[in-house]
Amino acid sequence: MTLQVIFLAFFGIAAVWFGVVVFRTHSMVRSALALLFSQTAIGAMFLVMQAEFLGVLQIMMMATEMSVMAIFMVMFMMDPGGMGAMDMTHQKRLSLRAGAVGLVAALAVIWLPDWGPIAATVPSAGEQIKLLGFELLGRSMFIFESAGLTILTAMVAATMVAIAPQSETANKGARDGA
Amino acid sequence: MTIAIVLLAVVVGAYLVAVLERWSVHGQFSLSGPAVSALALLGRESLLARTPDRLFFEAGPILLLVAGLLGAAVIPLAPGLIITDLATGALFLNAALAYVLVALIMAGWGPNGAYGLIGGWRFLGQFIAYAMLIVMPITAVAMRAESLMNTQIVLSQTQLWNIAYQPLGFVLFVVAAMGLAWLPPLDLPSAPGDLAGGVEAEYTGVRLGILRLARMVIILVMASATVTFYLGGWLGPVLPAWAWSAIKTLIVAALMLFGGRYVPRVREARYLAISWKLGISLSLANILLVGVIALVVPI
Amino acid sequence: MELELLVALTIAAALFGVGLYGSLSQTNLVMIIMGVELILAAALINMVAFWRYLHPDVIAAQMFVLIIMAVMAVEMAVGFGIAIARFRSRGSVEMEEARELRG
Repeated sequence: MTLQVIFLAFFGIAAVWFGVVVFRTHSMVRSALALLFSQTAIGAMFLVMQAEFLGVLQIMMMATEMSVMAIFMVMFMMDPGGMGAMDMTHQKRLSLRAGAVGLVAALAVIWLPDWGPIAATVPSAGEQIKLLGFELLGRSMFIFESAGLTILTAMVAATMVAIAPQSETANKGARDGA
Repeated sequence: MTIAIVLLAVVVGAYLVAVLERWSVHGQFSLSGPAVSALALLGRESLLARTPDRLFFEAGPILLLVAGLLGAAVIPLAPGLIITDLATGALFLNAALAYVLVALIMAGWGPNGAYGLIGGWRFLGQFIAYAMLIVMPITAVAMRAESLMNTQIVLSQTQLWNIAYQPLGFVLFVVAAMGLAWLPPLDLPSAPGDLAGGVEAEYTGVRLGILRLARMVIILVMASATVTFYLGGWLGPVLPAWAWSAIKTLIVAALMLFGGRYVPRVREARYLAISWKLGISLSLANILLVGVIALVVPI
Repeated sequence: MELELLVALTIAAALFGVGLYGSLSQTNLVMIIMGVELILAAALINMVAFWRYLHPDVIAAQMFVLIIMAVMAVEMAVGFGIAIARFRSRGSVEMEEARELRG
């Protein structure tokens, strides 16, 4: 048992625990923030696995993403405070079975094969960032650029889908006298 | 040892920022004022709203304080005087300060009150406005330093401070930093006179004390981040390094606290429109400009 | 000793199971998105663990993680765009009521 294993297990169990809380709590803000803390624990796992840049990035990105998630939960749920203890699940047995089958299959794939020896050392954090930069703007530039383009397309598409229909805004404008 | 010194510096700095804030609000300079207020808060009853989300209510102010302290951990005060000089320091500062948003949402949602709730969600709108303007000027700073390490960023400014090298980035960063620390005119989450204190409305006693302390720490961290990224950190003639850090940080904090009071309060939707339409284009221009200068002129 | 790798992968598997359960059992679109986020997070852990313990010299693995993070953001943006449009036209994002595409 090395220190790394202990920390990995600690943050990992925290991540799984918060992941379970997401679907167990009735309060929607709690649910979104439980997902946030689950993702933060995953970021801490990255830090334990010496992927410093990715860990910090994960911790930073998820804070924003999950806060936005929280406000959407409050906007779109029937019972955001969870005071009514409303049931919002369906096909529970099927989902439980699917989740269990997925878990068992993944565990089998993980535990059965022989992974061989693991690497003892990794490049230092500064070295990693440098290598990642060269990778992103060198060999993988096309992939990186297409990811950027995908995000741009998604931004435009999501905004287009989400903005109010033309007639609605036109009426509102007429009402406001604008 | 280093940790103790930095913590002491944060406590003293937060107290001085509190003095400055009091001066900017009430117009009277009093070194003992914040201490008296803090003692008064400690003596007051800690009220609990009806049917609160107790967990968030308690955790909000503490998470705010932790976020501020984590931010302070990667800021160099003098050569060697830094808690942890991460290879991703500039990014880590962002990551820590992103939790200011989480803490404010928790503190606003927790007490089950309308003012706090509106204050917390307003800060989300404000966050979306300033987030890009924090990250993109830092990108330009890191481009010049060719590193994300904060000590390296300071050392890269030996010849010329970044405020002269990229003034556009400095202005954008300071405006975004004021949004992050919800200073006037961007003080929508607490908004005295409009929301009855907003996030702070339902807090009393010790919890309010922690909330106020955390805010002072965040103002201090934003000021010292501005110093690290744009004003050459500890660099300066004659005086020792730590003194330069302290002087510059206090001057920036004073400018941020006093300057904003002469501008009418900006609504979060308007702030969002300005930062995305104008701010992001300007910060992209800043990145391009810095890239060109860094390639052409070797400073 | 490969215990580190096994621990990381097992945790990823557990998160995958939880996410799969969540995304199948919840009736609300936003909650379903949260389940999908958990599944993607499990994929992230796998990528980083394989990079760290099997191929630390192949930095392309880290780039793959960045792409998955981008996918997470895109998935959220598009999902919420659809949610807003549906809420505006139907007044709810309960997926039990979304049966127009049913054969």
